[in-house]
Amino acid sequence: MSASIEVRGLSRTFHTTVRRPGFTGTLRSLVNPERVAKHAVSDITFDVSPGELLALLGPNGAGKSTTIKMLTGILTPTAGEARVAGVVPYLERERNARNIGAVFGQRTQLWWDLPVRESFSILRDIYEVPKAEHASRLKEFDDILDLSSFWDTRVRHLSLGQRVRCDLAAALLHDPPVVFLDEPTIGMDVVVKEQVREFLRHQVEQRGRTVLLTTHDMTEVERLAERVVLINHGRLVLDGSLDEIRRTFGSTWQVRATLADAHTDVVPPPGIAVLRQDGPQVVFGPDGPDAPTVHQALKAVIERYEVTGIAIDEADLEDVMRAAYVQAGAA
Amino acid sequence: MAVLHAWRAARVTPLGELHTPPRMTAVLLRLTVQVVLVASLWTGLYAHTGTTAGLTRDQAVTYAVLAVLASRLRELDQYAGRDSVIQHMHYGTIVYWYLRPLPPQRYYALRALGEQLYGFAWALGGYAVALAAGVVEPPRSAAVAGVFALSLLLGQWVLYYIMLVTDQWCFWALRNNAAVMILVFAQNLLSGVYAPLWFFPDWFVTLSAFMPFQATLSVPLSLYIGRIPLSDAAGQLAIQAAWVVILALLTRFLWHRAARRVISQGG
Repeated sequence: MSASIEVRGLSRTFHTTVRRPGFTGTLRSLVNPERVAKHAVSDITFDVSPGELLALLGPNGAGKSTTIKMLTGILTPTAGEARVAGVVPYLERERNARNIGAVFGQRTQLWWDLPVRESFSILRDIYEVPKAEHASRLKEFDDILDLSSFWDTRVRHLSLGQRVRCDLAAALLHDPPVVFLDEPTIGMDVVVKEQVREFLRHQVEQRGRTVLLTTHDMTEVERLAERVVLINHGRLVLDGSLDEIRRTFGSTWQVRATLADAHTDVVPPPGIAVLRQDGPQVVFGPDGPDAPTVHQALKAVIERYEVTGIAIDEADLEDVMRAAYVQAGAA
Repeated sequence: MAVLHAWRAARVTPLGELHTPPRMTAVLLRLTVQVVLVASLWTGLYAHTGTTAGLTRDQAVTYAVLAVLASRLRELDQYAGRDSVIQHMHYGTIVYWYLRPLPPQRYYALRALGEQLYGFAWALGGYAVALAAGVVEPPRSAAVAGVFALSLLLGQWVLYYIMLVTDQWCFWALRNNAAVMILVFAQNLLSGVYAPLWFFPDWFVTLSAFMPFQATLSVPLSLYIGRIPLSDAAGQLAIQAAWVVILALLTRFLWHRAARRVISQGG
């Protein structure tokens, strides 16, 4: 089966004018502007299969939104190519528009002065969705997102959580096979976030939609994504499963052991280092790329030493991603 | 289905206004006050004179009141709703215009059409009241009424394009406040809203002939009151049509360029 989203060597360079500091510098910039090229996205390649939810991750300014804008057809790449549901988005923008839905964070596509349902009706007619189909889809969305309790309210009076739920529904009302979500749950409370996650799970698992999600919320990534593409400084750093990411960047566990004999000569097992020692209290950590998992390390420490107490601290995905961003940034 | 989306897009502004009664009350008050003041002003100015600048008192009052009503056809308030180009650029929501199967230029045109029809309803209501109250004169003949209607249509078309150019400016400058202020002033001055162009010196009238503003209101209103005779109407209509074509080509080019300027904000 061919990929829903195909990205090959995608690059985007922006040319901006550098403003020199100070009054004289500002005048010089006006007369003789200095143009610099900023490579927002450089040579990115990946695929997303039909019915897959891929998390596109990276620190702020990594190039995630620029990538999404190229895939939605808003921006034309400087080099490389992309296909979304078989369509080159920046060459056939209108055809691509029928195949995709998009939510850009807190930026709403709803009509501010109109009740939500009126916005849905406008979109229904713009996308030429039959009325019966529109009604049944709206009901399906309402069942999960609980829209009917506020869809007769004008958009300007909605809370952030209500508005984002409506935006999600608006993006999917025309039944697009591919959905782009750029930090859709930013600023939302945990209850609404969970509601949105359930909605997305339903859309991927039951409706077979392909979702490309960018987020800084690692709980969301853990609960929704099986595969992650990590980009930094516009370059692809890693494309793999969450397990692979953990294996690559997540060796930040610690095993804290209390030895029975405080005078034991501590020689750690291979792949394990002594991070700190204070009498019988010893803290072990990973050593090098071949470090064992935390559970292997725990077993090795217990087998090698006589311990009276032991505890482990395992890095959560947030820590893993922090390590990944730092390492990727240093690379 | 194309009719449906056209209908939906066109009614965005009227519906938004109907959902906001205070805005409608404000329009009603403003229009009433403006019409009363303008009619009083021009009646007063003509208290001791019969004909000035080729206009009788009734012609001048009719012109001034119609100018006030016609200026309501397309209100230049960009902040009332959130669906103007400047607002979309400010909030970064302009991207959605480019994510729909309806091209941004067509959506903009449909929105503007609805806005102008909504304004026309107000202007027509005001005209009916002013006509019944004897503040304005009726057209002198059916032919004058017909030519006026055609000229008003062309004038609104020109105005649509002028406003579109100021909106398109947002794609480059993000804001167009200065451009809109200049437009409002130039539009009111050069189209004869402040005073009929016939009161200005010849050099000013000649200068304004090279700009599109005169085609928006001054020409249709002058045809209505008979200051431009029917025999000269064909030439004036041709000039208006020429402005429509010139501005249509310009804005088409700008839409094309603007598509490359959809700002990519954030990483």
